[in-house]
Amino acid sequence: MTDEKKTLGLVFFPAFDWMISPAHPERQERLLYTRDQLEEEGLFDLPQIREYRPRLAAIEDLQRAHVGVPSVDKLVTRAHYVSAGGCLVAADAVMKKEVERAFALVRPPGHHAMRVVHGIRGFCTVNIEAIMAEYLRTKYNVKKIAVVDTDVHHGDGSQDIFYHDPDTLYISFHQDGRTLYPGSGFLDEAGSPLAWGTTVNLPLQPRTGDRGLHTLYDNLIAHILEDFQPELIINSAGQDNHFSDPLASMQVTAQGYARLADKLKADIAVLEGGYSIESALPYVNTGIILAMAGLDYSKVVEPDLSGLGREDERCDQRVRQLITAAGELYFNRKEESARQMARLGSDKVWARRKHIYYDEEGIREEQQEAVHYCRYDSDGCRGYLTILTAAAGTRFGDQSAFIVCITRNCCARCREAAYDEALREKKRSKVQYVLVQDIAAGTVEAL
Amino acid sequence: MLLGLDVGGTFTDAVIIEKGQVLAQAKAPTTHADVLEGILNALDKATALAGQLKNLERAVISSTIVTNALAEGKLPPAFLAVCCGPGMNTAGKFPVAPLQLKGCVDHRGKITAPIDLAPLARANSIAPAANAAVSCKFGVRQPLLERQMAQALLQAGRRKVFLGSEASGELNFIRRTNSAYFSAQVCDLFRTFCSRAEKALAERQIKAPVHILKADGGTLPLAAALEQPVEAVFTGPAASVLGIEALGAVDEERPGISLDVGGTTTDIAFWQGGRPLAARRGAVINGYNTAVRSFHMRSIPLGGDSKLSVSLVNGERFYFVGPQRVGPAAAVGGEAATLGDALIAAGYISFGDAARSHKALAALCPGLDIKEEAKKIVATAVAKLRGVIDEMLAEWARQPVYTVDDIVKGTEFRPRQLIGVGGGSLGLIKALGEAMDLPVSIPQGAMVANAIGAALARPTLSAGLRADTTEGHYIIPESGERKPLPRPFNRKAAEELLDRWLHEQVATWQLAEQETEVISAEHFRTIHGYYDTGDIFDLRMQLKPGILQKVAGFSGEVAL
Repeated sequence: MTDEKKTLGLVFFPAFDWMISPAHPERQERLLYTRDQLEEEGLFDLPQIREYRPRLAAIEDLQRAHVGVPSVDKLVTRAHYVSAGGCLVAADAVMKKEVERAFALVRPPGHHAMRVVHGIRGFCTVNIEAIMAEYLRTKYNVKKIAVVDTDVHHGDGSQDIFYHDPDTLYISFHQDGRTLYPGSGFLDEAGSPLAWGTTVNLPLQPRTGDRGLHTLYDNLIAHILEDFQPELIINSAGQDNHFSDPLASMQVTAQGYARLADKLKADIAVLEGGYSIESALPYVNTGIILAMAGLDYSKVVEPDLSGLGREDERCDQRVRQLITAAGELYFNRKEESARQMARLGSDKVWARRKHIYYDEEGIREEQQEAVHYCRYDSDGCRGYLTILTAAAGTRFGDQSAFIVCITRNCCARCREAAYDEALREKKRSKVQYVLVQDIAAGTVEAL
Repeated sequence: MLLGLDVGGTFTDAVIIEKGQVLAQAKAPTTHADVLEGILNALDKATALAGQLKNLERAVISSTIVTNALAEGKLPPAFLAVCCGPGMNTAGKFPVAPLQLKGCVDHRGKITAPIDLAPLARANSIAPAANAAVSCKFGVRQPLLERQMAQALLQAGRRKVFLGSEASGELNFIRRTNSAYFSAQVCDLFRTFCSRAEKALAERQIKAPVHILKADGGTLPLAAALEQPVEAVFTGPAASVLGIEALGAVDEERPGISLDVGGTTTDIAFWQGGRPLAARRGAVINGYNTAVRSFHMRSIPLGGDSKLSVSLVNGERFYFVGPQRVGPAAAVGGEAATLGDALIAAGYISFGDAARSHKALAALCPGLDIKEEAKKIVATAVAKLRGVIDEMLAEWARQPVYTVDDIVKGTEFRPRQLIGVGGGSLGLIKALGEAMDLPVSIPQGAMVANAIGAALARPTLSAGLRADTTEGHYIIPESGERKPLPRPFNRKAAEELLDRWLHEQVATWQLAEQETEVISAEHFRTIHGYYDTGDIFDLRMQLKPGILQKVAGFSGEVAL
């Protein structure tokens, strides 16, 4: 048993005792039919599959990716520690070479959770892929990571966390934001100056199906991945592009998803959304698992394909446009990044404003975020971030914070400058909280 | 008065027990060509000791008949028809290439494609083999397709058709299919054995019901066992575990590990609350997964008579223990040194002629300190046992967890005692206890533990009930029952229905009245388009398993 080489590590955690509210898409029942299908197929018996149970992530794991206001621990439930911990177990299994690939089929999901957290948005509180990526960097020294987000919704949380990091390639295809939550994810959201082009957004026409998706993958995504040469590929494996999904309007089938998993050959896949819990998830998950385990998935076909419509010409047209436009953007990214960096002033600060809406709790957040690039040209130093946030309508009332994030490999002078800014803000005392995040250590210090 | 009969690899044992007293124990050589002969020899020896078998309540046979018939692979193939529906490619997952039929049921028990029986009619005309098995993916949620297949086969003249959904009410299409298939394959042979056994016992004026022991450590009357003959596989290890339980060796307060050390193999089992832990998945037969329930056990080729060998790598000596058996130990007249001899020389046990043990070991390590080398050999064997125990612990730790509560509370198994039984190699368990820093207990009278286990096992019977209120029916897969839901319906009503069904079975098979218990229960509210549509209840219950009584003493005669 032990000497047999397992292909796929599977962390299955359906959280049958966790929900957002009783009739919410994120309720106990969500993975019930998937569990039934996987058990009935006998997938857990396959010699190619090794089962893992999740563990509780540590607070440090969560704090490498997040700054919670007033704290991450006050915002999450035990379930979030388990689903994040499930991803870490998957990461360990792959990095220790116990398995070739792993799939964390866990909930609650995470790709709408941004760096700063005031509550739940898009069913997410903490970003389980980002937590895993930071863990991989801390524990295993992995540098270049690609995250391919195959959820129908734009993973705006993942984009937010990876936006300044040129070593993380974030590719998301999704239903056009003008027609679906969260409304973002357009081509020009391509990363801050140093990381320009390593955020690749591919907004698709509603009703795009297997054909469009695979054309896009074969002619664009595969080439970008080939060029970026990541050490690891993470798949945010949302399943709501399925034709039967009640929240979105796409036409992808279980075969389409399984073939994609087969081509992508992600090192670690993590479940995200997907709310057609009876008609899609049992089949899509079976397909992905078989494909990741290197087994025949050709017989995984939904019993009812009557809801599957035709992909029309507009879908193909959009795919062709994206292949050209996003290809140009990505392959010219280094030149463009250098241009943008040169345009920065002598303080080497790049800033943006954000309005963030938390649909689940009705929170409205205003953010001013600034990237302070290293002015001392220290080797490998990526400087620090400052974030001024004010949120109205959180479960703790209205709250505000000034946050400083010290990046990995931050040089001593940048670290000092970061603390100076935090202390200055503390003295000024216009905000409720002044918080310092040390990403490498996974600590958030309240000044 | 209870009679237990156990067929082992070398000996067949018989015991007679009354009110916790073992009145007679007897052994006869196992007769491999016809195991019944050895069973009757042992029985006759035991009855000669105990006198008349007055007030005999029950006879239980734990035999190797099904295990051996399946392992030898000489049984003619049975016919298998399946409805696989969408999903994994099942090629190579079944012992024979099945006839694949169109027709499928989905995870909620909805028929998503009707069955086409035409290929079945064609196959029937080509190869009208006697027995058949039929199985449908999600047949446990909706047995109609399986019933249609079975009916067509019976009408075409097949004697017996086994249904996947009756083999087990639990999910796992491949395991259910294989259970049903092996039952179909072994059914005729097992029926012949049962009727011969019944006749031979009747000739001996034994009128008490005759039960068979199953892999799950429970018994069933012969007629009931014939409904699922595959369950009579692997009864030896189950009997051994029940014997340990009956001998009262396990401290209920502490989780423990039992090791039954024989001459050739050691059986390892886990205990919690004074009961052996059941395996999460079914047994593997001839390399195929089945739904046959058994204990969480492992057998390894390591015992008192295991062969010792040594190899030299860069001047360093490495010892090996097993897997072959050479015994008996040199101390009791064997040719070569065995693990038993090493245990004697290392000072863990004393039996036979210690000087002969030393002499035999000297051949392996000429000119070295025998006691020191013997300790190294014992350490090698202990390391091997620990390796298997660690694997079993790891396997247990990978049991699925479905709720946050499971993770937070933890469902770990941490052993706090070792229990050793079997032969003259108990020293091995002492050595293991030292290495693992665990207390060791060794019960008395373990010579015929298997037969004692068989004699005292309770009947076992388990079943599931699933109710989907949206759909308006409940189903007990083991019975094939699918009936409209009573109103109002809730968890309590579900338990009552299933409890009633189990007690009906108790009455039908004339089993002793026994309480039922809930093994697992799930309840989900189903929602469609943001509104409540109903509830799903999934319940499993069983007759409380275990032993009828503990052994309080040995008052009778022994014929070994």
